[in-house]
Amino acid sequence: MKLSFSAEDEAFRAEIAAWMRDNLTGEFAKLKNRGGPGDEHAFFEERRAFERHMGKAGWTGVGWPKAVGGRGAPLSHQVIFFEEYARAGGPGRVGHIGEGLAGPTIIAFGTEDQKRRFLPGILSGDDLWCQGYSEPNAGSDLANVRTKARLVGDRWVIDGQKVWTSLAHVSDWCFVIARTEEGTSGHKGLSYLLVPMNQKGITVRPIQQMTGTSEFNEVFFDGAETAAENIVGQPGEGWKVAMGTLAFERGASTLGQQMAFRNQLDEIIAIAKANGRARDPMIRQRLADAWIGLQIMRANALRMLSKAEGPELPREAYVSKLYWATWHRDLGKLAMDVLGPEAEIAPGSPGTYDLTPLQQLFLFTRSDTIYAGTNEIQRNIIAERALGMPREARA
Amino acid sequence: MNFAFTEDQLLFRDTVRDFLAAECAPAQVREAAAGDGRSPARFDKLVEMGLTGLTVPEAQGGLGLGLVDYVLIAEEAGRAALPELLVDQIGIAVPLLSRFADRPEVASVLEAVATGAAKVAIGHPMDPFVADAAGADWLILGKGDAVHLVPAASVALTAETSVDPLRRIAGVEWLAGNDTVLSDAPGLWDEILDLGAIAMAAQGLGLAQAMVDLAAEYARTRQQFGKPIGSFQAVKHHLATVQVAIEFARAPVYKAAFTQRPRDVSHARIAVIDAAAMAARTAIQVFGAMGYTYEVDLHFFMKRAWALAGVWGDRHYHLDRMARMVLSDDAAIGADATFADN
Repeated sequence: MKLSFSAEDEAFRAEIAAWMRDNLTGEFAKLKNRGGPGDEHAFFEERRAFERHMGKAGWTGVGWPKAVGGRGAPLSHQVIFFEEYARAGGPGRVGHIGEGLAGPTIIAFGTEDQKRRFLPGILSGDDLWCQGYSEPNAGSDLANVRTKARLVGDRWVIDGQKVWTSLAHVSDWCFVIARTEEGTSGHKGLSYLLVPMNQKGITVRPIQQMTGTSEFNEVFFDGAETAAENIVGQPGEGWKVAMGTLAFERGASTLGQQMAFRNQLDEIIAIAKANGRARDPMIRQRLADAWIGLQIMRANALRMLSKAEGPELPREAYVSKLYWATWHRDLGKLAMDVLGPEAEIAPGSPGTYDLTPLQQLFLFTRSDTIYAGTNEIQRNIIAERALGMPREARA
Repeated sequence: MNFAFTEDQLLFRDTVRDFLAAECAPAQVREAAAGDGRSPARFDKLVEMGLTGLTVPEAQGGLGLGLVDYVLIAEEAGRAALPELLVDQIGIAVPLLSRFADRPEVASVLEAVATGAAKVAIGHPMDPFVADAAGADWLILGKGDAVHLVPAASVALTAETSVDPLRRIAGVEWLAGNDTVLSDAPGLWDEILDLGAIAMAAQGLGLAQAMVDLAAEYARTRQQFGKPIGSFQAVKHHLATVQVAIEFARAPVYKAAFTQRPRDVSHARIAVIDAAAMAARTAIQVFGAMGYTYEVDLHFFMKRAWALAGVWGDRHYHLDRMARMVLSDDAAIGADATFADN
C-alpha cells in the first residue's frame, strides 16, 4: 500500500494543472464550473469546442491504452487528472458518454476495425455518443427490452423506442441494445449495436425535467438503420456487453465525480459560515457527516480501482453507486437547509425558471438515487450478487 | 376530552375537497403554471363557498370559525396545491385582524375580505419576501415590534421568482407611519409566527398526502418484472414509512391548531416539514425517472413543499425554539409537567 504520490506523479500533476490554467481562458473562461449536473444545457457548443481543444492536446482518453490512442495513464495519473480538472473548474464534459462508456466497451469487446473507426472520433471530441438502454417498459427491468433489430442484407433495421437518453439531441452515435432474435425474452437474444443518430429513421423528443431544462430525451426508431458490422460482440451477446458498459459507469470516472462533490460541499460550507448557519449544531453535524461521507467514497474508490484487474468486480464495487447517490441526494437537501428562506428565491425574473446552481443541485440530486440503477436495484444487486441471496420471485 | 373533529367540520372539509378535486385538479394546476398562475374564476368560487370569510367574525359577515375548522381547509388547499391566496389570508391575516375588529377601519377590511372584495397579504419580518403581495389590496408588515396594516398603494414591490412556479413572491419596500400601526404590543409577531407556522404545517400535511397518493397510484399500475412495482417490498415499504410519518404529523398539527401554544406549533411544524420532505423524496423515487420530469404532476407538489418549508420559521428555527422551551432553566419537565394540560 502506498497512498502518497511519487515525484513523477507530481510532475504529471503540474503538467495538467498548468494546461488547465493556460487553456481555460479566453473564449473558454466562461465555462468554468459550468455544464455540470442540472446545468447541462449551459454553453453546449462552447463546451464541445473545449472537448475538441482537449482532444487536440491529448487530454481525452487519459486512462485509455496507448495502442488505441489514449494516454495509457496509470491509476495515480487518472486520479490526478480528475482532481486537477475539477480543481480548475473544468466544465461538464460533453464527451463523457463516449469516453467513459462507449469507448471502453469498444476497447474491451469491439473488433480492430471498430476500434479504428470509432475511437479516434471520441478522442478528438468530434463524435458525441448517447446510451440507448432504457425503454418505457424496460427501466429497472432493463432486460425487458422490446426494441427490435433485424438483419436485412448488410443493414440492421431497428424499430422501437428508448427513453431517458441523455444528450441524444446532440449525439452523433448511440449504442443500442435491441432484441435481434424473435421470440426471445429477458437477457437472451439481445445485441449491442452502434447506430448513427443523424438519419430519418430516428426521431428525438426532449423530455423536460423538473429543473425546467432538458438533458434527456425519448428516441424513436422507425426503420432506423446501421451497417451489419456495427455490432459489438456476437449477435445475442448484447446483455454481456451492456453489463460491461455498466461496470465502466462505476469506474475511474467516479473519482472525477467526487472532486465535483467536494467543490459543492466546499461551497455549501462557505455559505454556512457566511450566513451563520454553521453555528447551528444540527447543520454543523450534517456538514461534518457529509465531509466524512466524501472521505469514505474516495477511500473506497481508490481501494476498488487498485485491485480492479480481473473480469469480476470486487464486492466493494457494488456498494459505491448506492452510497454516493444517497450521499449526494442528502447533500442537495443540506444545501437548501443551509440557505434557509433564501432557498426559495430563484435568480430569474418572474415568468422564467432559471435556478441558482445550488437549486439545480437540489433538484438534480433527486434523480441520483434513480438513474443508472435505482437504490432499490442496487440493494438487490448487493443482496443477490455480493451476499448470495435468492432472487425475488417474479411473475 | 375528545381529540376529534365534529361531523359538521368533516362535512365542510369533504365539500372543499370535492370542490378542489373538480376545480383545482393537477391538470388545472399545470395550466395555471403555464399562465400567470392565478385563476380569478376559481377565486370567485372560493368566495361563493364562504372560504374567504371562514375565519372572519360573524359581525363582519364571516362564518366566525376558528383555527380548528380552518386547519382542515388549509390541509385540503395543500392537497390540491391551490395556487390562489387563501390559506395565508384566512389563517394568518384574518385571525390577527379579528383581534382589532372593534376598530371601524379594520372591520371594513374584514368585511371586504369576507365578500372577496379585498385581499390581504402578510409577511413575517424574518422572511425576505411576502407571498401574493402583488394581488393584495392590503399588506400586513412589520417594523420592529410594530404590526402595520398598509394599503397596497403605499408599498413598492420587487417581484421575485420562486422555485415553486405557482408561488408569487415579492420583496416589499415601504415607509412605516403612525397611521398604519395596527399594534405595537411586544411579542405580537411571535404570535403571528405561530399562525403562519400552523398554516404552513396544515398545507404541508395535504401536500405530503397528495404526493403519497400519486405515488401509490403509480405503484399500483406501473409494471416491471411482470408485476406492479407496488408488489415489491422495496417499493411498498417506502410508501408505508412515509404514511407513518404523515399520520404522526397529523395529530400535532390538529393539536397546534387547538392550543396555539408555541411548543405545539413548533412540534407540528417540524413533524410536517420532515414528513413532506420524506414524501417528496420517496414519491419521486417510486415514480423513478418519470418523477424527475416536469411532465409528471408530482413536482408541483414537491416544489410547494420545498418553498413552504423555508418561510414562517424553517425547521431549524422551530427546533431551536423548541429546544429552548424544553431546556431552559425554568422549563417544567418530568412526569407531572410533560403531559400537564396536554
